[in-house]
Amino acid sequence: MRKIKRRTFLQSCAAGMGGILAGGTAPYFFTRSIARAAEGATIKVGILHSLSGTIAIIESSLHNAELLAIEEINAKGGVLGKKLQPVVEDPQSMVQVFAEKAKKLLLEDKVVAVLGCYTSASRQSVLPVFEQHNGVLLYPTLYEAQECSKNCFYTGAVPSQQLDDFVPWIINTLGRKKFYLIGANYIYPKETNREVKALLHKHGGQTVAEEYSPLGATEFSTNINKIASSGCDVVFSDLVGDQIVAFYKQYREFGITAKDIPICSPITTEQEIAAMGPENAAGHYTSFDYFQSVGTPQNKVFVDRYKARYGKNAVTNAVMQAAYFSAFFLAQAIEKVRSTDADALIYEGLPGQEFLAPEGLVKIDEKNHHTWLWPRIGRANEQGQFDVVWTRKNWVRPQPWVPYLYPNKTCDFSDKRVVERLKKPWSQEKDRSGTINM
Amino acid sequence: MTQSIITQFLSGFSVVAILIIAALGLAIIFGVAGVINMAHGEFIMVGAYTAAVVGKLGGNTLVAIPVAFVTVGLLGLLIERGIVQWIYDRPLETLLATWGVGIILQTVTKLIFGPELYYVGSPKFLAGGFRVIGRLPFPWYRLFLVIVAILLLALVFHVIFKTNLGLEVRAVRRNRAIAGCLGIDTARVDMAVFVFGSGLAGIAGAVLAPIKSVSTAMGFPYAVDSFMVLVLGGVGNLWGVAAGAGLIGEAETVLSFIFNNVIGRLLVFLFIVVTIRLVPKGIFGYYERR
Repeated sequence: MRKIKRRTFLQSCAAGMGGILAGGTAPYFFTRSIARAAEGATIKVGILHSLSGTIAIIESSLHNAELLAIEEINAKGGVLGKKLQPVVEDPQSMVQVFAEKAKKLLLEDKVVAVLGCYTSASRQSVLPVFEQHNGVLLYPTLYEAQECSKNCFYTGAVPSQQLDDFVPWIINTLGRKKFYLIGANYIYPKETNREVKALLHKHGGQTVAEEYSPLGATEFSTNINKIASSGCDVVFSDLVGDQIVAFYKQYREFGITAKDIPICSPITTEQEIAAMGPENAAGHYTSFDYFQSVGTPQNKVFVDRYKARYGKNAVTNAVMQAAYFSAFFLAQAIEKVRSTDADALIYEGLPGQEFLAPEGLVKIDEKNHHTWLWPRIGRANEQGQFDVVWTRKNWVRPQPWVPYLYPNKTCDFSDKRVVERLKKPWSQEKDRSGTINM
Repeated sequence: MTQSIITQFLSGFSVVAILIIAALGLAIIFGVAGVINMAHGEFIMVGAYTAAVVGKLGGNTLVAIPVAFVTVGLLGLLIERGIVQWIYDRPLETLLATWGVGIILQTVTKLIFGPELYYVGSPKFLAGGFRVIGRLPFPWYRLFLVIVAILLLALVFHVIFKTNLGLEVRAVRRNRAIAGCLGIDTARVDMAVFVFGSGLAGIAGAVLAPIKSVSTAMGFPYAVDSFMVLVLGGVGNLWGVAAGAGLIGEAETVLSFIFNNVIGRLLVFLFIVVTIRLVPKGIFGYYERR
């Protein structure tokens, strides 16, 4: 036992008094007790997106979309007769802070679920926290897949939902077979390109070259020179963030047009196009489940509300849309099980939940916790929007492990063996992944 | 293949130009005033946002250059008078203080312009390019960057070697105490140098914005590249900036072409490490007179 010395005790008392005086009207523990008293009237939902630091560029828009969704839910009377109360934390774009803030949201605020994270690194840093303390995370980003966690629900696209139709479409409809792959040097582009190469093999395309650029590098004259001399007829880009802007700008600067060699990307959104200027993007292709220009009535409402709330120049994109409908999934799941208990939400509430999202009817898969979506292909136009040139007639099942690369791997949270394993306390059974090798 | 390598070598010149433009401001402030300006990247960023504002008001890059020079120069003046002038002789503190200034600049910019990437167009009359050799044209804008780099170098040479201020600057650089004794106002020289260097960083932001991405976090990679140029070329010598930028720029473009970007960058870093081991003060390092 640590002894409390009289001097340190006095010092901490003094510090505490100072804190109260400095804090003015409402010192920390008073606000906390008030918050606790009001707990009965609201249901707390954690929002965990960086509002400062490098990733804030994109994450603040996800934060905005989620707040909008919560406001809409509350305007319709909330959930179980209670209002949803967003508890916002800013992890400052730092991976280790994500885990700390997640812990705080789960243990201190006792939120029913967390809407949050953008990068894979941040998701992987918070997952152990959610698994240990049995929380619920709704993750909105398209990502490299090959992951399943009991405590996480993935509402963004997995690569197969963006690529399975896109690559054959490029080969058959655009008539371009020689692919030049360029990406940022980390896991998402590498995994995506693995699938692209497998699909090219299957559909009779050809990989001319595969290249990676260090994250943050924005000089592409070398790559563009290589592209021009490689004899390829299409560029497949999974560059990310500000790299996208610099690459498209320099691509046109060096005189390659979308007619010569179009750029096809599973990640370039309306946001990046606004930053590079529509003249640099026009004619290039992107595959997503959602574009701002999607013509459904519910999307028109969503875009109008978003602009009314955040300014008329605000643009929406696929990840924001996923963040937006995640909140509705959560609200409906709580209504369904009439409880805020994590296990009830994980085993009964969220799996199978459907919602008429801006992109169309979406559903959380009962088995693998990923989401059924509507693949589309868009061609960027002169106004900085996408003309949707192809839409799939039916929604597509999420496959965290595509059969043509990983034939024996899958995860199934409706499988009895898995549920039994997962219901053991965390200290005995740390594998929460739900994967089974067949 | 040979054709491609020649094209590559040519576009390498534009990369060298970008490095020179980005590193000049840092070189002057570091070389004369002895301040390691950690906010250098953010000065470039402010220059880029200035160009964005000028663009919104209807001006192009040619208008943006003087505007950015004045804006960021004034910002430099404010920072020098407000903070740096009190801590010139404490290198560690200047490091921390300018770093803090950088964070503040990023945050303030984000509050004003929002966190998203910002659009800066390139001037219409510099669109397109001219064919030299091979399949790809050499863009006019890249040629413009090369010219800007040469003009800026010439301007700095002129100021340092042909003007009275330059004479004082060189005197202070050689021996601060004696220069002071001879009646040179060393504080004024430091201030002038800091403001001039800041202005140059502003120009860098304004001319790079049209072909790169503009965001509040954009400055950091430029700051890193600038420091590499200085370390390799040698602090306190303008030829060092040109030599450092030339070696890094050409080596990186050619190596990236032969291997790939990741290995290209890696080899350049390796090259710098070995060079510093052999010539600790850089290729054109300045050796104090004893």
